[in-house]
Amino acid sequence: MNDALASGFTIASNAQLSVALMISALLFTIGLVGFLCRRNMIIMFLCTELMFQGAALAMVAFARMHMDVSGQVFVIFILTVAAAEAALALALVVLLYRRRETLSAEVWSQLGES
Amino acid sequence: MVPIFFYVACAVAAAGVALLLLPHGRGKRVGASVLGLAGLAWILVEIVGSVAPNAGELQPLGIVLLCGIVSIASAVRVITHHRPVFCALYFVLVVVSSAAIFVLLAAEFIAFALIIVYAGAILITYLFVLMLAQQSPAEIGSEDAVDYDRIPREPASAVMAGFVLIAVIGGSVFTVHDSSGTAALEQARSVRQGWRDLSLMPSLLLEQARRTDSTVTAMVRRPDGLFVTPQADHSAIVSVERTGKASPSDLTLPPSLLPDNTTRVGIALVTRFPVSLELAGVILLMAMLGAVVLARKQTDLAEDERRSIAGLSKLMDDPTPGASR
Repeated sequence: MNDALASGFTIASNAQLSVALMISALLFTIGLVGFLCRRNMIIMFLCTELMFQGAALAMVAFARMHMDVSGQVFVIFILTVAAAEAALALALVVLLYRRRETLSAEVWSQLGES
Repeated sequence: MVPIFFYVACAVAAAGVALLLLPHGRGKRVGASVLGLAGLAWILVEIVGSVAPNAGELQPLGIVLLCGIVSIASAVRVITHHRPVFCALYFVLVVVSSAAIFVLLAAEFIAFALIIVYAGAILITYLFVLMLAQQSPAEIGSEDAVDYDRIPREPASAVMAGFVLIAVIGGSVFTVHDSSGTAALEQARSVRQGWRDLSLMPSLLLEQARRTDSTVTAMVRRPDGLFVTPQADHSAIVSVERTGKASPSDLTLPPSLLPDNTTRVGIALVTRFPVSLELAGVILLMAMLGAVVLARKQTDLAEDERRSIAGLSKLMDDPTPGASR
């Protein structure tokens, strides 16, 4: 009977889910490390996208675990937020670059002097 | 049981990433890559060993492992490469290889949406901004990148913080309880939910019923108000009107007529999360307006210039004919 079911309704293999969750945790952590280490503003925002990717992978893995699509729907909203964030953050970066002619985040460590 | 080996594997991978972050020559970089990859492989082996897969699941598991290694290796490259454009290109590789994992996790729509939106739209925006804000090659020098791309900020402490997080998250894999007993229950609930979703879409349900029996003309509500009554063996009973028959009769739909993964996402979006969907649209609109306002070149106009743009006459000089009279 199980063969007739669509893949989303079958019981997921535990090993596959564990590996997918570990990969998502690793992606998130690497994004975090990159955000802390890199000094280029654009790369810092790219690292947040990496963290989004890890979160999306965890959502989909848990959706598969419970055979429910709510997790996948949530990923669509994550995607929306990521797109909005990219548009705004990059507009800000362009603005900051015009002021100082550099992408280094450390130039902006003191907000007092415009 | 404390997973000592797993923590050691995390430490090895952390050392590899930390060494990769530091700027130095090619030979050391190869050594650091080997160290990091060995740590990554060790972490994954520990995870797979803790769940003891059956022989039947080895092939899909192998694909997940392969795609995972590719995506994590290129993620490390994203944070270690000295040239921002290459970082963006490696991020495309991360997206593509994790899309393969999404497909294996029965999320086809998400996989292709991520490729189109991330690799197609967001990454192109990043590349545009990189080109806009790139310093000219003469300033950079022929061989190496600018300082702020080459020298990381506090790599050791950042990597330590990150991999302590990994050790804690990953350690939880070794303490979870076996959930195989509840899986069958969860599957039954999910199948019932699938039929109920289909019941909210009567025209889709009619289409599915016609695939079983082409004489069906219309669906009739069951006594409980829904169109479908799910059965214990994953099939479902519907009431239908057929051509040439006066009263409605029952029809059994096989489980193969359950909605597929993409259809389920669509049905869930419009039946369970309609308000969130509208809000997502509002967020995107706001982001667009915000980006337009932020990226506009800000110039200060004098009062007279502003009036002339608006089509009005100047304030002081150049009096109108009526006033001179």
